Amino acid sequence: MNVYLLQIVNGVGVGMLYFLLAVGLSIIFGLLRFVNFAHGAFYLLGAYFCFQAIQWELSFWVALVVVPLVVGVCAWGVEKLMLRYVYTQAHEFHILITVGLALVVQEIVIVIWGPLGDNVTAPDALQGVVMWGSFIYPKYRLFVIGFTAVFAVLLWYVLEGTRLGSAVRAGSESTEMVSLLGINVFRVFSLVFALGAATAALAGVLAAPIRGVEPFMGIEALGIAFVIVVVGGMGSFSGALVGGLLIGIVQSVMSTLWPEGARLMIYVAMAAVLLLRPHGLLGRG
Amino acid sequence: MNRRNLLKIAALGSIPGALWSARSALAQSQSAIQFACPVPMSGPFAANGKYADLGMKLALEEYGEALGRPLAYTLLDTEGKPATAVRKVQEVAQQKGAKFWAGGILSSGSLAMAKEAEKANAVYITTAGADEITGKDCNRATFRWSVPTFGAIEQTVRPLLQERPEAKRWYTITPQYVFGEGLLSAAKAIFEEKGIEHVGNSYHSLNEKEFSGYLTNAMAAKPDVLLILNFGSQSSDTLRQAVSFGMKQNCTILLAWASGLEQFESLGADLCEGVYFGAQYWHGIDTPLNEELVRLTQSKLKMNPNYSLAGSYICTRIMVDAIIKANSDDPAKVIAQMEGMKYEGLTGAEEIRKEDHQVLKNYYLLKGKKKADMKDKDDYATIVHSGQSFLSVAESGCKM
Repeated sequence: MNVYLLQIVNGVGVGMLYFLLAVGLSIIFGLLRFVNFAHGAFYLLGAYFCFQAIQWELSFWVALVVVPLVVGVCAWGVEKLMLRYVYTQAHEFHILITVGLALVVQEIVIVIWGPLGDNVTAPDALQGVVMWGSFIYPKYRLFVIGFTAVFAVLLWYVLEGTRLGSAVRAGSESTEMVSLLGINVFRVFSLVFALGAATAALAGVLAAPIRGVEPFMGIEALGIAFVIVVVGGMGSFSGALVGGLLIGIVQSVMSTLWPEGARLMIYVAMAAVLLLRPHGLLGRG
Repeated sequence: MNRRNLLKIAALGSIPGALWSARSALAQSQSAIQFACPVPMSGPFAANGKYADLGMKLALEEYGEALGRPLAYTLLDTEGKPATAVRKVQEVAQQKGAKFWAGGILSSGSLAMAKEAEKANAVYITTAGADEITGKDCNRATFRWSVPTFGAIEQTVRPLLQERPEAKRWYTITPQYVFGEGLLSAAKAIFEEKGIEHVGNSYHSLNEKEFSGYLTNAMAAKPDVLLILNFGSQSSDTLRQAVSFGMKQNCTILLAWASGLEQFESLGADLCEGVYFGAQYWHGIDTPLNEELVRLTQSKLKMNPNYSLAGSYICTRIMVDAIIKANSDDPAKVIAQMEGMKYEGLTGAEEIRKEDHQVLKNYYLLKGKKKADMKDKDDYATIVHSGQSFLSVAESGCKM
């Protein structure tokens, strides 16, 4: 198979993981207008909780279901106790408190698990590669593509086809109006924040067997998530999906065309989108 | 207590640090000979710094005193940043009169501190890899214990070629900065000499974490050997992802500059099995001083020494031995003793080349063992080859 075709397939795999990483951040910003620099910390917690679950000889599949829920509950608590008190403040306060939170989480991870990285083994059923002619691809990465696609459909349904989703979308347009309709907006805020953190944790769980775990992985993830949100459009679900896939494919294809600039091209793509469509590919003005 | 728990305690432990500081203060009051350990204690390379700190502490505790004076040291957190490193060594030299520095780890910081050592009339010894340290940027105050990039490639690629003569197609993955370029250029010279087909190279940035694109290129080139030329967590990520792409089944993997036992520990035995690693140091080296160090770390720290610890330990020992031989703590006299010094080191007979201050020592080629064949929890690899290769002083470009 042509190497560029291989890179596009690989880029889809990378992009789906990026989508999962960014969609929570995008939704949180869309509804709450809250700049969450602690998003990478939830990804970090997801990865380390998965590592710990496997250390305890629990199955990866258990971790895949339980860890996002646990991180979601933690995030719900953090939102209730800390973050909701700064929603009405300027973005600088959001940044200050969430950067602080991210650093605290990172240091706690170092104290508990140590500063060295660790490996997380993919489940036995997903070990090895799929070979189709000259196409060779890890089974685990194919699983990530499939799983994330199914999850994206479910998340889309929750946001577009349920009462909660209606409240979220309406809340992102006019918080006051939704309040007047008798919906407890703060409860919706809490749920959305928890949901966003849980998706970041899910990305962490899925990324752990690919990249291992190390205490500084949250910072890198946060950078990528912001790029995707900016490219796709702040607050847009489909923007996160398109942005994630675009960035994944650009990064992968550039690994062949201009390997030393592959990472740089992520940011060039972001700059190009900002110039041509300041609100992102699918963002609203 | 395992290594990980030890580091957790180190991360928590302001108390041991405070005790050591108190001891340092006491020692200083008795006109102690002052050492400094400038290493990253925060940021991505903090783990290496913490082990290096343990290495210097062990060596100084072992000697206790020199010239009838106590030995004291100050730990400096460079944060892995050259500017911070320079500021901290300047401070410690001015405020405490510390003239003997061992540390650095990262080449950028080491090169900056090397210049500062010369200005401050200090003695500096490092384990960083860039050829320039004992090459074109060498100076009278600076020494280097580790083998630079040329020797690392000579002592890994050549023996692997001997072991696998049928491996004619090699692919390289290289970080695009001075360290990676040094490794790549040394590898290319061997490929040309041996008629090896270099089927491709992927450069990547220093911030890269996702290597699947580069590995897709590598697989498309159908190499017999994948030669990984990056370092630290990037080499772990590359190897982890290469194994997930099934490359261990289709080709031989050589990681030319492994960071030692801690890297094996973070990757795990299953992943490392059958993979070749280049290493500056391994706790299983069969030499008297290494056996002594292993006994020391096992009794005091309940762990085997890794490269960061061992490097800092031997660098400190070299300086203390030179002080004793010089019968003086005058840096100029200590440097004169270190130049050309021959000693029994961790890797056997070691010698400091007078003309460029490079320590001539062995470099090792390791092969990851099967988990079932490991005799203990740290027995990850077998030494399959060791030897020395260094550019001549003229080739290194060092002019003091």
